[in-house]
Amino acid sequence: MNELILLCQKILNLPAERFAENQDEEVILQIDDNEFEKIMSLLYDAEFTLACMFATENIDEKSNLTLFYIFEKSRCHNFLALKYNISADKAPSVAMTFPTASLYEREIRDGFGIEFEYSKDTRRLFLHENYPVQFHPLRKSFRNGQTVPNVTVPPDEEYKFREVHSEGIYQIPVGPVHAGIIEPGHFRFSVIGEAIYNLEIRMFWKHRGIEKLAEGKNPTQALALAEAISGDETAANSWAYCMAIERLSGLKIPPRAEHIRLIFAEMERIYALLGDMAGMPIDVAYPVGASPIFNLREEILRWNGKLSGSRFYKGSFTIGGMKNDVSTELLHELSQYLVSFSSRFHDAVQHLLAQPSVIDRFEPTGRVKKELIAPMNITGPIAQASGVPRDVRIDHPYGLYAKLIPEIKTLDGGDVLCRFKIKAGIIQHSTHLISQAIREMPGGNVCAEPKLRDGTVLSVVESCRGQNVHWVSIRHGLIERYKVRTASFCNWPAIEFAVQDEIVPDFPLINKSMNLSYAGTDL
Amino acid sequence: MGGMFNNIVKPKITENFSFLDSELEQEGFAIREKIDKIFGGSLAIREVDAGSDNSPEIELVNLTTPYYDIERFGISFVASPRHADVLIVTGPVTRNMALALKKTYDATPEPKWVIALGDDACDGGIFKDSYAVLGGVDKIIPVDMKIRGNPPSPREILKGLFTFINQIEKQRS
Repeated sequence: MNELILLCQKILNLPAERFAENQDEEVILQIDDNEFEKIMSLLYDAEFTLACMFATENIDEKSNLTLFYIFEKSRCHNFLALKYNISADKAPSVAMTFPTASLYEREIRDGFGIEFEYSKDTRRLFLHENYPVQFHPLRKSFRNGQTVPNVTVPPDEEYKFREVHSEGIYQIPVGPVHAGIIEPGHFRFSVIGEAIYNLEIRMFWKHRGIEKLAEGKNPTQALALAEAISGDETAANSWAYCMAIERLSGLKIPPRAEHIRLIFAEMERIYALLGDMAGMPIDVAYPVGASPIFNLREEILRWNGKLSGSRFYKGSFTIGGMKNDVSTELLHELSQYLVSFSSRFHDAVQHLLAQPSVIDRFEPTGRVKKELIAPMNITGPIAQASGVPRDVRIDHPYGLYAKLIPEIKTLDGGDVLCRFKIKAGIIQHSTHLISQAIREMPGGNVCAEPKLRDGTVLSVVESCRGQNVHWVSIRHGLIERYKVRTASFCNWPAIEFAVQDEIVPDFPLINKSMNLSYAGTDL
Repeated sequence: MGGMFNNIVKPKITENFSFLDSELEQEGFAIREKIDKIFGGSLAIREVDAGSDNSPEIELVNLTTPYYDIERFGISFVASPRHADVLIVTGPVTRNMALALKKTYDATPEPKWVIALGDDACDGGIFKDSYAVLGGVDKIIPVDMKIRGNPPSPREILKGLFTFINQIEKQRS
């Protein structure tokens, strides 16, 4: 019997027939108004983490609006999905119990016009001031199409940042357009002298409406949207999306395709984390140390191109497997290259760690406390650098990871130096995983014929930044709702905590040590 | 102690690069000649991301890394639109970024040029029917040149810049 069902039965005191398993990934529990509050507080007591929360409209005949709360419990393979139908356009807020809910509730309020009672923060999230107040694009009654932005914004509709008043406190507004070649976001610092007293991050400048665009498309067409969620998470998100559709269809993809997927996803992890690791020395004015890492990254990007035809693995995944096979000779060559990569990377990292001027800036800068990790659902290298061994590949194995089990290390410091070291370790380990997948590469074709079925499905993967959640609902062969939540969405608040009491010039370094995706957050 | 002493007195050596891309250099130095002539030695580019998926930014940053090192060809990325000759804009322009893009354009001194980079920036790409997107960059500000690709590779960007500079040269003569 499913371990999560047994556990939930015990802690929630509910009969087994209330729980339904779905696609071997989630356990669904439908809850009603009377038990809502009690179940939420029992889950909190049992240390469940809120991994995602979203709304759907007309998911079945019986419901108008439905809220889904996806929970993760450590050491349980399945996720728990609470399904809560609401009759009016309102629901109780759970943000006081699960703090990450605050962002989701604001997101749902924008998208669907659902009000959350007793919510502390009712500011708009992805719809900035240029959108009219009563505009809710994810409602089925809104037909997607180009819109005209408001030119002027009434003063009472302007975004209200948290204000900190005291003698000597001043504000520094930064962005959305920054000085470097980076994505847009707004950072509002409240500073005393040089020390940061408070940072508030405002995102969603890049909101492109990916979730709404997917609706009404057939699953094959929508893959291009999954690829565009975040450029440097293309492989991770295409994998998650394809896997969702495949699970729904009961489709088993050929073993060779599983191996290639792992190789591409790990290559992506390597080049993405190399970018973070090169950026960190740049931000402490030590570009000499960054150059070898930049060179290695360019080599990996060129390898991506050789393996798939795209430096970012665009257009290489497909529902049922992979678009193209990779020749055995090329894989053999890659395996040899990774040996030299590994030793040159080791040298580059050792060189950087031997520079007192680098260490002095990395340690103990930008600390993320361990206590924050679970309540804020912080995942990936940031969690590992703060002593929490979370990794979807291990906690909820998918694809080949059930067989090639990654090893992850943790460090306790939670500072920039720890994140640097954790990322270095992940890169080295990814090279081993790739080599192992190449050694065990089976023959055969790389794509199975997809047969599409209707239903809802959850799919979770480990991207270079942590846990990415995809949830797809298909009806009559078309996408009814597509919900995506990348690791960055939950990890951004970690920066707000990490910069407290640090000096302003350390902000770029702390930011780079996490290197979160703006596009992946804004969708 | 010995380590620190050696660190101070020994001659400094950077990594010896084993790559030489002569085709890239040829193109690069041809661009440099024209930049010398038209822009008085340096072409200053300000990059604005108006809604891309971040892959064009990765490739633009790559142009400044040792493999490409485009500063040697007289091209540099600057921190402010006030210092820029050219704006490179990526992404379909989102509603939330439209005003910031317009302000950045207005802050760039004349004469100025705009290059739309990436399929989304050229015409809105797969996002053009979204409520959240206004379309290609030319919906907001005048565009002088489009470099297509999802995303264009560093070499393709460099080729695009070369074409752009030739265009300017023709207009001047």
